[in-house]
Formats: sequence, C-alpha cells, structure tokens
Amino acid sequence: MKIICVIPAWNEEKNIFKVVENVSAYVDKVVVVDDCSRDNTSLLANEAGADVLRHIINRGQGAALQTGNEYALNNMADIIVHFDADDQFLASEIPDMVRPIIEGRADIVFGSRFLGKKTNFPFTKKYIIMPLAQLFSRVFLGVKLSDPQNGFRALSRQAAKIITINNREMAHASEIQAKAFKEKLRIVEVPITVIYHHFGQKLSGGFVVIRDLLINKIIK
Amino acid sequence: MLQQVVAIIIILFFVFKLNGQKRKKEISLNEFYLWLTFWIFALVAIIFIKQIDSLVHNLGFSGSGINFLIYLAVMALFYLVFRLRLVIAKLDKNLTEVVRIVTLNNKK
Repeated sequence: MKIICVIPAWNEEKNIFKVVENVSAYVDKVVVVDDCSRDNTSLLANEAGADVLRHIINRGQGAALQTGNEYALNNMADIIVHFDADDQFLASEIPDMVRPIIEGRADIVFGSRFLGKKTNFPFTKKYIIMPLAQLFSRVFLGVKLSDPQNGFRALSRQAAKIITINNREMAHASEIQAKAFKEKLRIVEVPITVIYHHFGQKLSGGFVVIRDLLINKIIK
Repeated sequence: MLQQVVAIIIILFFVFKLNGQKRKKEISLNEFYLWLTFWIFALVAIIFIKQIDSLVHNLGFSGSGINFLIYLAVMALFYLVFRLRLVIAKLDKNLTEVVRIVTLNNKK
C-alpha cells in the first residue's frame, strides 16, 4: 500500500528538515505544503527529500491539507497521513496510525492524546479548552471522539475522496471529524504522544473555530 | 417642519446624484432601482412622520417615529453587514480554490 504523508508548513524552517527526515522512514512519500512561508521552509523540505508544494498566498492549515490530499490522490496514495510540521508528533507512531486501515478495520484513524499515552498538556488546555471543545463537538457536530482537536490522522484513499476540507484555517480538524461521522466511515482512535513546545490553540481560537464552522455551513 | 424640509432637500440631493451615476453608467440598473426605492421610502417616511409617530404610539412603542425609523435602519445595517460577511467568505473560499489549482499546476 502506498502511504503518503502530507505536512502543512508555515514558517517552519526550524523543524521541517528533521520532521521530513523522521517521517520519511515510515512512508513512501512525504509532501510538504508550504503555505507561503517567509523563511526557508520550502528549501529545507526539498533538501530533506520531500515533494514540496507552495501556496502563492497564505491560506491556512486546512487549505494546505486539502491541497496535499489532492496531490496525494493524484499520486495514487492508498493511505494519506496528516502530520504537523512543528515536531510535536512522533513519526514512530505512524505505523500504529495506518495499521487499522491496512488491516481493513478503518477508513479513517484519528490520533488521540487521551487514550493513555503520556502527553505534557498545558493545564488550561487539558482541563478547560479540551473538555469544552469535546462538549461542542458532541452536541453540535455529533462527534463522539476522545480528542476533538488532533492534527495527527490517517485517511484511506476512499475517505480522502469523500472528505473535502472546506475550512481553510483551524476549524478543519472539527470538520474532518464531523464529516467522517456524517458519512458513516469506519473510525478508529489510536493513542498518540504529543510533545508540546508551545501552547498552540487558545480558548479564543476555539471561538474562531465555531465562527468558521458556522460561516462555512451557511455559504455552502 | 424646518427639519423635514432639510431632510427632503438632502434626500433629493442624493436622488439627483443617483440619477447622475446611472446616466454615467457607474451603477447597474438593478442597483439604481434598489437605492431609488430606499430614498423614496425615506422621503415618504419624512413626509408622513406625524402619521408614523401615531402608528408607533398605537403599536405600544414609547419612542417617536424618527426613533423607530432609526431602529429599522440599524437592523437593516446589521443585515447588510451579515450579507457582506457571507459574500467575503464566499470570495475567500474561491480564492483558496484558485491558489490550490495554481499550486497543483505548478507542480505538474
């Protein structure tokens, strides 16, 4: 099975070379979608051996992932792995993520920080932001997952064809989960490790996610 | 009375400007009719402000007719801002699609 890893990146020259190198050991091809970085992200990703796509205007992580998905589908990917460029995920966990798809048990696999593996969560993220996000996803999107906002996921070819990411910024994570449930895809959650180097999305970011989800629903 | 005359003069000035824009083809016919309807509505409201006063009073509002018109205007503005937000979101979505097509074509 051909596994392609899509890494959206914006101003990630500090981490991208290492991330591409680490990921390359576990997949057939690495695609870095440089979302109009102002630094050497493209150059370094290319030197590390990735296929580099470059947005001419910054469009956000969701948009970069969809660009990467389309490129991967055009390149006959059987499985597409979404991976962050900031070196917070462990490449060694990619085999765990793709296994349920290879074994035919899942169409889409979501990484979860709440299934036992050790993650150095910031306090407010663990006890305030995540429970609120989980409640919102459950009540309004019908998503019953332990981790409502996780960028580490694996999609079968079929799932990537069905799920088109319309939210160009951070709401894409909720959108992908909601669509997976709506389309009744076979979903598996896999415990993953996240090493936080920075706080990431704040509570205010959560409100932006809700706003974007609503607007995207209306303009469809 | 003086205020009404001033308001009517202002409205007529804008209708005159609107007509000029139409003649110079700076706005579409649809847009012209939309704004003309708006100014005619404003003109009628100013001329019959006393009747609107009593209508508003009969409806149980404590303010005057002009206050009521301002409330309506604010509501209309909110709606227009909402519509604009949706138009911008749609344009934004289209822009993303164009960027994606260019990106994928550049890689071919």
